[in-house]
Amino acid sequence: MSLQNEEMEVIIKVKRFSQDKGSWWQEYKLKVDRFTQFTEALRRIKTEQDPTLAYRAACHMAVCGSCGMKINGEPRLACKTLVIDTVKKYGSNVITLEPMDYFTPVKDLVVNLDDFYERMYKVKPRLYPSEEVLKGEAEHRLKPEDQRMLWKFAQCIWCGLCVSSCPSVRNDPEFLGPAAHAKGFRFLADPRDTITEEREKILLDSAWRCTYCYMCYNVCPRDVEPVTAIKKTRAYTKLAKVKSPVIETGEKHTQAVFESIFESGKLEEAKVYLSTYGVIGSLRDMIYLLQSGKLKYALVKEKPVENISEVRKILRGE
Amino acid sequence: MEKVNYDVVVVGAGLAGLMASHEIASAGYSVAVISKVFPTRSHSSSAEGGIAAYIEGNSDPNDNPDYMAYDTIKGGDYLVDQDAAELLSYKSGEIVRTLESWGTLFNRQPDGRVAVRYFGGQTYPRTRFVGDKTGMALLHTVYERTSGLGKVDFYFEWFAWELIRDDSRVRGVVAFDMRNMVPVFFKAKAVVMASGGMGMLYKHSTNSYINTGDGYAMALRARVALKDPEFVQFHPTALYPSDILISEAARGEGGILRNNKGERFMARYAPKKLDLAPRDIASRAILTEVKEGRGFPGGYVGLDLTHLGEEYIKERLALAYEAAKSFAGIDATKEMIPVRPAQHYYMGGIDVDITGRNPDLIGLFAAGEAACVSVHGANRLGSNSLLETLVFGRETGRAVVEFLRSYSEPSSDIDKEAEKAEQTAYDVVKRESGVHFGEVVNKLREVMWEDVGVFRTEDGMKNAVSEIMKLRDMAKDTYVLDKSKVYNTEFYNALEMKNMLDLALVIAVTALNRKESRGAHYRLDYPKRDDENWLKHTIAYLRGNTVEITYKPVKMTKWKPEERVY
Ligand SMILES: Cc1cc2nc3c(=O)[nH]c(=O)nc-3n(C[C@H](O)[C@H](O)[C@H](O)COP(=O)(O)OP(=O)(O)OC[C@H]3O[C@@H](n4cnc5c(N)ncnc54)[C@H](O)[C@@H]3O)c2cc1C
Ligand code: SF4
Ligand code: SF4
Ligand code: FES
Repeated sequence: MSLQNEEMEVIIKVKRFSQDKGSWWQEYKLKVDRFTQFTEALRRIKTEQDPTLAYRAACHMAVCGSCGMKINGEPRLACKTLVIDTVKKYGSNVITLEPMDYFTPVKDLVVNLDDFYERMYKVKPRLYPSEEVLKGEAEHRLKPEDQRMLWKFAQCIWCGLCVSSCPSVRNDPEFLGPAAHAKGFRFLADPRDTITEEREKILLDSAWRCTYCYMCYNVCPRDVEPVTAIKKTRAYTKLAKVKSPVIETGEKHTQAVFESIFESGKLEEAKVYLSTYGVIGSLRDMIYLLQSGKLKYALVKEKPVENISEVRKILRGE
Repeated sequence: MEKVNYDVVVVGAGLAGLMASHEIASAGYSVAVISKVFPTRSHSSSAEGGIAAYIEGNSDPNDNPDYMAYDTIKGGDYLVDQDAAELLSYKSGEIVRTLESWGTLFNRQPDGRVAVRYFGGQTYPRTRFVGDKTGMALLHTVYERTSGLGKVDFYFEWFAWELIRDDSRVRGVVAFDMRNMVPVFFKAKAVVMASGGMGMLYKHSTNSYINTGDGYAMALRARVALKDPEFVQFHPTALYPSDILISEAARGEGGILRNNKGERFMARYAPKKLDLAPRDIASRAILTEVKEGRGFPGGYVGLDLTHLGEEYIKERLALAYEAAKSFAGIDATKEMIPVRPAQHYYMGGIDVDITGRNPDLIGLFAAGEAACVSVHGANRLGSNSLLETLVFGRETGRAVVEFLRSYSEPSSDIDKEAEKAEQTAYDVVKRESGVHFGEVVNKLREVMWEDVGVFRTEDGMKNAVSEIMKLRDMAKDTYVLDKSKVYNTEFYNALEMKNMLDLALVIAVTALNRKESRGAHYRLDYPKRDDENWLKHTIAYLRGNTVEITYKPVKMTKWKPEERVY
């Protein structure tokens, strides 16, 4: 099983930044082999070529969440990405490294993550078990299948990549963001937790502010699937006593999607819009659609699909 | 210089530091935790395979905490303080239950009880785990819990540089805010060093980039001794060539080491325990196979998991599978994983007793990998370290609370000392030319690996000592090219380099001094353990360029040294 190695010279272009000089691109030439991770490439640049380069890295094994950045424009962990793989994927030995989007740059590849941490703290990221369990007077056994399900969402390493690429975070200050939702759901769904109602208050409204674009799903290096956590959190809405306008709109939207498919077997955007947002809200959006040239899609009239009765059966759960 | 006041400063936000902080803050005292990185980025997050614990009602019916202590003592080649090993074993079940109640998602048995697996050197299986990301799961839990107290001030991305002391007691820590290089004197009644290990001293290490031994060096410069500094652990199964750890869990779950002929070579080195032999034995076995031509080109052997089946591998050894796939392009369900030894853990550390208290300096405590209690002796058993961080982190926290209850205010002023510390750090920035930290560090890592590594000899170690002396001279001329104050990582790397050199000298000199082989300290020129002359702890001080060595007896309770065979 001897391993085939390869060597190659690459050019790594780093988007550098300093508070006095602003940003500029700097190139480093480097020989790498098949096993060289970007964190190792950076370490070598720093110790052998340019000690002034700043970046974060610690574990080099994708568990500490330090090294999030953009590699050829893709949000990735530097340690979990091999240089030569990137060369092959993009067909070029020139590679760009940039800091993560959305967060404020501090220096070179280092960004300020305070906003990220605040989002995480908002969801009360810790278990609140019963007093008896805390005192060791009672034991709350967790079923293996619950453990497996919760562990999926508990594996978030706070790297920030999903937040850096989430469009809703940018547009909606009330939205907690994907990582915080994954964390929040991990505790919401834990049968040992005692503050479920409070968690619903924190999470539900925000859960309806995600656009289901799946960016967080695509970029997460730990396969946490924040968007799945958000979907599962939305399912708690039925139980909620007080519903915010966003939740109500969201529920209406879901209902409208259901009805549209039930009637025609298709998603009739215009109808769904009308039912969800009412005439005034829809008009406002239509103006936006008109401006962006997308209105023609919204106004298409759908004919029911041929085997609509089959679709209805599925929707009724038959 | 700016000053802040706390009852206690804890250096390090890994498991040990957080656990101590939790204990101290819960008792109502003010705590500042200083860490180079955000707490969950601490090295504890990398721990994979698990945490050892004897749990009443949830262990092998034949097992008991005394067996656990015995395994630890034997594993450590009788250099373990036996009272410490007993404390570790007897509190193991309770601490795992505490973490469980705080929310750690331990893997479960079908009836909901915490599951268990075998680790090297255990008579009965005792290792509790969360897949193979146990450290991450525990660290997140303890951080979430401790930050939830709302009583601990976290100074993350702050660099602790010097301990400040008067004649007899510790008075605080000088640290820099890494975002702007502003130094602050953290005045405190007690300091807990929980700054973790030092893997970056070695060219091949499984450790995180931030493990540069800062705490050991800070202690040495404050005239505090290290205990057993010559004992450095090498892990047998680091992924070739990136040195990412393939957890011992892989062997615990049935993985087999094979040479280039496909032989299960451990049969020759540990006929009874085979692949589950402790780390020092397996490391030497692998390097011996390679040296004698039975390794693969490049210098590694194979770790065979293929017989375990895809589903089992992907659930219980997810990280090993993923690491082999991402970093060596190997599909562990079909092929062997290429592995070789790499530096992994530091058994030596700041000299403390079983309460975490240091005898040289009043008010100084240490816990976790930064400390030498000593529960690991000459060789740590896998999954005992996470346990140590939590058990002794908590013990230390309790001892600090007790210390604070009888504390009286000192009268002397030590602000001048703090200013001196600031100057020694700035010296590297002020110089206009010279060598870069990278040059010195790369050489140091090479020398340590070659000459103070798995196999040691008189000549090699003498060479290492003289090379380190040269590097220390060279380091006087290092300078920092980056003149900005914002997140100047070059400046901190230069300070780390100084710390690494201080520690390296102590390791090399004490290793040269110990003329026997014991646990991880293996000398080709003295291949036998020598209880008559060497059943004692090394206690080492650094005075300028000289390492002063004295000794301390090993504490024995129930177990007499016997030959260590597996
Ligand atoms: C890859 C790997 C896998 C492992 N797996 C296991 C396992 O399965 N089971 C087991 O029992 N053990 C395992 N270990 C060992 C175990 O993980 C460590 O020994 C343990 O986590 C150390 O914890 P700690 O709290 O002492 O220090 P760390 O977690 O290393 O924390 C050190 C802290 O100190 C801070 N610090 C350091 N220097 C400074 C400074 N100058 N200024 C400010 N802050 C500073 C750091 O920022 C960090 O917060 C493993 C080790 C490795 C390398
Ligand atoms: S799916 Fe939702 S949470 Fe995820 S990136 Fe898109 S908008 Fe953000
Ligand atoms: S959910 Fe994934 S991408 Fe987002 S912070 Fe956590 S680990 Fe990173
Ligand atoms: S260095 Fe830890 S995640 Fe990349």
